[in-house]
Amino acid sequence: MARTIHGRSEERLAYWTMVLPAVLLYLLVLGFPIVISIILSVSNYNGGKMFGGEPWGIVGFQQYGKLMRDPYFWSALKNNVYIVLISIFGQLPLGFIFAYLIYRKIVKFGDFWQGVLYMPNIISVIVIGIMWAIIFSPNGVIAEIMNRIYAGSISHQITQIFNAAGGFNITDDVVRQLINASGPVAGQTFTDPPTELKEFILTYDPNNLELLKHDLVNLLGTKWTPTFLSKPDIAMLPVLFVILWCWTGLYLILFLANMQKIDGQIIEAARIDGASEGQVMSRVVLPSLSGVIVNAAILCIAGSLNSFALVFAMTRGGPARVTELLSIYMYDAAFFGTPNYPLANAIALSIVILSMILIAITKLVEKRYGGRE
Amino acid sequence: MPEPLQNQPAKRVVGVIGKAVSYVVMGLFAFMTIAPLVWLMISSFKSTTEFRLNRVGLPHIWTTINFPGAWKLGEFDKLIGNSVIYTLGATLGIIFFSILAGFAFAKIKSKATPILYGSFVLGILLSIQSLMVPLFIEVSQLDRLLTDLFRTLGILKTGQVNFFYDSRFGVLLIYIGSGLPTAIYLSTEYIKGIPYALVEAARIDGAGYFKIFRWLILPMSVPIATTVAILNITGLWNEFALINILVSKAYLKSLPLGIFRFTSNLTSDWGKQFAALVIGMLPMLLFYVGFRKQITKGVSAGAVKG
Amino acid sequence: MKKTLFLALVLVLAMLVPMTAMAQATPLRFMYYIDASQAGYAEDQAIWQKFKDDNPDIDLQMEILFNEPFHEKLGAYIAGGNVPDVIYMWPSNRSSSAILHQMHLMKDLTPLMGKQFLANFVAPAINPKAQPSGYLAELPQSITYTTVMYANKKLLADNGFALPKTYAQLKAMVPRLKAKGIQVITLPDGDGWQMQSCLFSTVVGRMLGDGWVDQVIKGKAKFTDPGYVAALTFIDTMFKDGVIPRADMQLGYGDGPTLFASGKAAFIIDGDWRQGFYITDKSTGQALIPLDQQSSDFAFINFPAIPGEKFPGVVSAIQGVGLGISAAIPKGSDKEKAAVRLLQYYYSPEVQKIKLETGAFIPSLKGVTSDALEPFTQMMPKYYAGINKISYVLDGVLNPGVCNNYVNKGLQEIGLGNKTPRQVATETEKAMADWRATQ
Repeated sequence: MARTIHGRSEERLAYWTMVLPAVLLYLLVLGFPIVISIILSVSNYNGGKMFGGEPWGIVGFQQYGKLMRDPYFWSALKNNVYIVLISIFGQLPLGFIFAYLIYRKIVKFGDFWQGVLYMPNIISVIVIGIMWAIIFSPNGVIAEIMNRIYAGSISHQITQIFNAAGGFNITDDVVRQLINASGPVAGQTFTDPPTELKEFILTYDPNNLELLKHDLVNLLGTKWTPTFLSKPDIAMLPVLFVILWCWTGLYLILFLANMQKIDGQIIEAARIDGASEGQVMSRVVLPSLSGVIVNAAILCIAGSLNSFALVFAMTRGGPARVTELLSIYMYDAAFFGTPNYPLANAIALSIVILSMILIAITKLVEKRYGGRE
Repeated sequence: MPEPLQNQPAKRVVGVIGKAVSYVVMGLFAFMTIAPLVWLMISSFKSTTEFRLNRVGLPHIWTTINFPGAWKLGEFDKLIGNSVIYTLGATLGIIFFSILAGFAFAKIKSKATPILYGSFVLGILLSIQSLMVPLFIEVSQLDRLLTDLFRTLGILKTGQVNFFYDSRFGVLLIYIGSGLPTAIYLSTEYIKGIPYALVEAARIDGAGYFKIFRWLILPMSVPIATTVAILNITGLWNEFALINILVSKAYLKSLPLGIFRFTSNLTSDWGKQFAALVIGMLPMLLFYVGFRKQITKGVSAGAVKG
Repeated sequence: MKKTLFLALVLVLAMLVPMTAMAQATPLRFMYYIDASQAGYAEDQAIWQKFKDDNPDIDLQMEILFNEPFHEKLGAYIAGGNVPDVIYMWPSNRSSSAILHQMHLMKDLTPLMGKQFLANFVAPAINPKAQPSGYLAELPQSITYTTVMYANKKLLADNGFALPKTYAQLKAMVPRLKAKGIQVITLPDGDGWQMQSCLFSTVVGRMLGDGWVDQVIKGKAKFTDPGYVAALTFIDTMFKDGVIPRADMQLGYGDGPTLFASGKAAFIIDGDWRQGFYITDKSTGQALIPLDQQSSDFAFINFPAIPGEKFPGVVSAIQGVGLGISAAIPKGSDKEKAAVRLLQYYYSPEVQKIKLETGAFIPSLKGVTSDALEPFTQMMPKYYAGINKISYVLDGVLNPGVCNNYVNKGLQEIGLGNKTPRQVATETEKAMADWRATQ
């Protein structure tokens, strides 16, 4: 009734004035490019000047067909699914639990934890990439530690063998024991280990047993190599762990901020009634955050499928494309070698479609299980 | 009813184990965060030759020689100012326009809302990576159109219009635009939670929509504004892919691009590279450490009672 | 409402960048590739500053990028139709240069720079047939030999070895060196291209020859031919014999020289461009390998004889990178003249000498000498002189899709032990067949 004072036209004017800037910006920044993207994905554009250059046209959905048949697409998709899983079932629960722990002061120094756990977000991915290389490189930190362990172990065994043999006493048996102690290494270095290793050892000065032992450690010791980083699926594990470490803090902050809006008296009442912390968390706090959690899940999904910079900086999708993501595949198609923009944009749109499907599922789950605000 | 006494000790044990596990996991994450940062800073105080021989330990000789070199080569003095403008400007822009639009979507009925709002939500799913090239073409074509237009109108005799491409304004526009979908989604949902009764009351009192926005909605939106800020600030500060495409002139570039000049793997100068990375990280770190209280205050200040 | 609008307007105006007025000078957009942390960066920047100072009538607008940002930006420029006026280019289908060649976006430098100017360069450099465009789209500043075996001859001598002439001699070094904690060869292939570019191309050149590669492109030969499988098998053998550790397939490119210089590897196989990595960086005064050791303790040798090779002593080489001029510049215009002047300046003996001295590359311009050269830089031309025949570098002649995804990756997988030579050959041939079908 009061509306008659101002009228619909004022309302409409206000609406459009408020909405227009955002809409214009959106069209400018995302709208136009996405239209081009869709067109390119069904075209045969070959690189070169896009407008006014060589003519190109719509050719249909062949790129999407090619994509479906491309094994690299599916392996990249698989990797993205892993990221989605670790995000939804790792970052969100962990962020929530940490937030709860800090909120309920179950752990002390909440301020410190909050700050430190959010910090990975601030670090540029370049730094993370360098750190990754330093840690996992065959020359890196892990390698050094592992190699020292291996060296220590084989050194111990070699010493035992020589002690039993009574010093520089190179019998066939001693050689055989050394070969066994080295596992597969002797066979990798020598074609005929018993003969060749024996010949080799005999070139050493009998009076310098220490030198021989030291060199045998080098020769027969296992060298740690990050082979697990080259195996599909397994190579994703460290990547996933880094992703978990990087983003959990963000959700922690989000959830914590919203928890602090809950009326403390409700919690106190529940505790007085004898509820345990676990029950408070699941029966009181969780439901009142359900809206935030769903929002977070949506952001999470979109972020996981678009994830690019972090993985690119760490592994560049390699080695041999085992950690390649859809976004990296798309990037390589657009910028590496001869650009294949139709393919790149087809991938981009596949990502969008997949995100829509996942988010639809999330919304369905919310309708089924969602609690009251 | 109070918890039966038999269960109490068990609960306590679980409680203690639970606490221990929590500390361990959080400690691990914290270590993973702090250790690389500390290592990076220590390494920036090693000369390159020393670093080659001593990669992990403390420097035998602490030196600051890397910093002036990196600062000069990277021309960081020009870049920091730009980064501040871009990050702050874009963040404020995102917050402002998203709350504005969020208010309209949430509180004013219109047939256009489902379409408009829906498209924004769809926009969350787009990654700017895939849109780099079309975006570039668009902004450079727009500038070309403007140049032609202004020439025809006689406003411009010679030279180029750099309104969108190769301009700070253009970068801000694009940064704001890229952050809008998520921000509008969050703002709209949030403002939906503000009781319509409040708005209605203000309308009855004769307030225009913009007054309501300025005096009612905006103050109440501080929490969501803070959330949006948190989501966007670090991303914008560290952003390098888009801005590389959007600007050519060296004096318009931002900090990350400066750091990128040191990241080739043909590098022989680890010292300068680390110094550059530390320089790049410091502002964000200081901002974060300095303003954290403000951030948490802002979030709880806007708590809605009742 | 008024206040908000006003504020918004102020925000807009405050950020508005004034429109640029055109300078009197001829603007020249130049896209260049160098990293600030490379040795010789300061000297390089001084080169361009001098050009600006000496040529006030040219407004040289340089955009300096490296790695991904460079290729992305150039890709965007190409798609947007405003290719820079002068561009740093590769002679092959490498990344951003691919479209420049294929779409003939660059001018032909042979008539533009003139026969007299070009006669100052060594013949292989100005051979237009070596570039995918079919004409001289860029002027190679050097001839790049992609396989150089840098040898630590002192280390070898200390362990009782001479420089190897055959693969068998190389193999024989494994036990003794390994016992000393030294790996025989290091070839960091973490980035995926080094194995193909710096070794495998030579192996193919030795065992199969350029003629065979031409046939494979045409479809008259296949990657599944026994000869190619044998070439892959040779690489596999090197890993199995322990001559190259499998771990190197995940080693970062920057880690290799460190291993070599610190005596942990007896040889490093790398391109000739790497010699600049070891010499003194003038900005820090430090060298990875001290001057007095460079010639006494080290040597550059050709890869030893491969069992079953048909063309002994062949080394893979390719025209080096260089500058090109955009075809969009109107013929005869001031801009074209400015671009030509820039190239003439860059390729002048004075500037090339500076590049030689900083270890950037050995110029293809004839007669560039300097007394200030460090031993490593002097040793490289001697290495070239000892090579009688060169062969293709595979990433310069094969299409990028097959080369990057099947040849390069296949070599990595052989090195990691994940695939056999025959598997890789089959997959490569299948991809190649797909590509041939689109031609």
